[in-house]
Amino acid sequence: MADLDPTPAPGAPAATTAPTLRERVRAALQSRTALVVIILAVLALLWWSAVARDVSAERLLSLTVWGVMLGGVIALGAIGLTLVYGVLKFPNFSHGAMVTLGAYLAFAFMAVLPAGPALRPFSFGWEFLAALVLAMPLVGVVALALDRVVYRRLRRQNASLVLFAMASLAMAFFLRSLIYLIWGPDFYFYYDARANPVLDLPLNIRVQADQLFIVVLAFAIVGLVHLLLTRTRMGKAMRATANNPDLAQIRGINTERVIAWTWIMGGALAAAGGVMYGLSSQLRPEMGFWLLLPMFAAVIMGGVGNPRGALVGALIIGVTQQVSTAFLNPAYGPAVAFALMVLTLLVRPQGLFGARGG
Amino acid sequence: MPLLKVDGVTSGYGDMEVLRDVSLAVEPGEIVSIIGPNGAGKSTVMKVVFGQLRPWQGRVELDGRDISRLPPYEIVTLGMCYVPQVANIFTDLTVEENLELGAFALAGREVAARKARIYELFPRLKERARQEAGKMSGGERQMLAMGSALMLDPRLLLLDEPSAGLAPKMVDVIFERIIRVNRTGVAILMVEQNARESLKMAHRGYVMANGQNRVEGPGPELADDPDVARLYLGG
Repeated sequence: MADLDPTPAPGAPAATTAPTLRERVRAALQSRTALVVIILAVLALLWWSAVARDVSAERLLSLTVWGVMLGGVIALGAIGLTLVYGVLKFPNFSHGAMVTLGAYLAFAFMAVLPAGPALRPFSFGWEFLAALVLAMPLVGVVALALDRVVYRRLRRQNASLVLFAMASLAMAFFLRSLIYLIWGPDFYFYYDARANPVLDLPLNIRVQADQLFIVVLAFAIVGLVHLLLTRTRMGKAMRATANNPDLAQIRGINTERVIAWTWIMGGALAAAGGVMYGLSSQLRPEMGFWLLLPMFAAVIMGGVGNPRGALVGALIIGVTQQVSTAFLNPAYGPAVAFALMVLTLLVRPQGLFGARGG
Repeated sequence: MPLLKVDGVTSGYGDMEVLRDVSLAVEPGEIVSIIGPNGAGKSTVMKVVFGQLRPWQGRVELDGRDISRLPPYEIVTLGMCYVPQVANIFTDLTVEENLELGAFALAGREVAARKARIYELFPRLKERARQEAGKMSGGERQMLAMGSALMLDPRLLLLDEPSAGLAPKMVDVIFERIIRVNRTGVAILMVEQNARESLKMAHRGYVMANGQNRVEGPGPELADDPDVARLYLGG
């Protein structure tokens, strides 16, 4: 069937424009392989620095496992962020605030739900799970409401990207102020002073059952999102709209409905991330804000608009952040994420799974 | 009653008027070709017909129903489908997913049968079913774009420059498929740079210039018209 292939235009560039050595070196330095090598080198450097400071292998292994957990939490936020970017084409700076809102709404639900006994070996009872299930759609609805009030108007005016980004920043501050107003600046725990025993796993890994729960749930939700995007009508419509919104309309897709579902999904995922983050540490009005940078780093590292990439990026960011605490103050966590993000932008701005340039 | 009627449409982008008082019609089962120099407003006509651009004046009717205020995703359910000139496939999705999205307005059941029919028309697409659409050649993309638009079994197919950027051999293949689709009863409204070829296969043609339609007539006659030839066919 070679006759169906278009012949190259007359005078098409051939051997005359073979890449120079310099161009080839530059292309190699910007390839996916180069970025993978650099990321692996950073990870190796971290582990080596930890070993050099006499951090035990067991502790290092435990930190790595916790890193995977943190990566799962970051992934829940990052996937929502990357979906919203894919469909709406703007960086949603209020995503961190939705993470916080989810954690606090679950906290509020738990206050009114009758508390049951802890579901051993976990520290939480069934009311925690119920609160999680209630908080997710509620934050989705909040995200949708923000779209109806703010972003949809901007869309109808064909507003510029900067206006969208600034509006989302404003919404981030608005939501955070709201949380301060309702719950105040204090820290909260889902369960005050409840025993949360450490499990001793093979290889002397020390992990809490709650942490394993977070890992499993995060990955289950990410798996569900993958199925939704590849198998369902709405998922395919989302990918189509992200790829080419004008053509999506021509093919019969109501893109406004797709946008609505994208917000609901993004909000629900952010809420799940917030609740799990709250379970693993504590609730603070700034918690989502501190996750925003790792989430953006994960999104950029994976390739903006690519959910699979966001997951991989989140795991890398989570592990590097946790392992770095072996010898750095944990407060530097976001700085580590930021360093990885800058590195990605310098080497390969389109990220690990970005299309341009192969 | 014509299938499609564009009646005195004036429209444009922002403040810039591109079309002035354009009127045309497509009868059921016809191939109608719009030709004219670059910037004559040919593609803009398509956009107005398919609801991507609102007419400032005049109206667009499908089966006698005014569709000029409808969004594209509703128009597509009324029996008219559209293949834009560029960005006419979902490059990140597979060939198969592209076809399935072509039938998005259709509830599940019939999709498989429709897909089989498109594969029969374009066997090449079947070979590539699982491939990412963006990795295909220009000719294959054009086949996929047409195939996706045919998934809803439209009565009228709008084609914007179906031969643009294709090798001469591929152009022949695409034109031959257009005729084959038309023989199954689908009316075609197409815009073409390849004016002489497209007029030869068209039942009727319109010649546009400066946002207005100037000449109208049976396709082959227009192709042989010395005035049209002198003005728009380059000799």
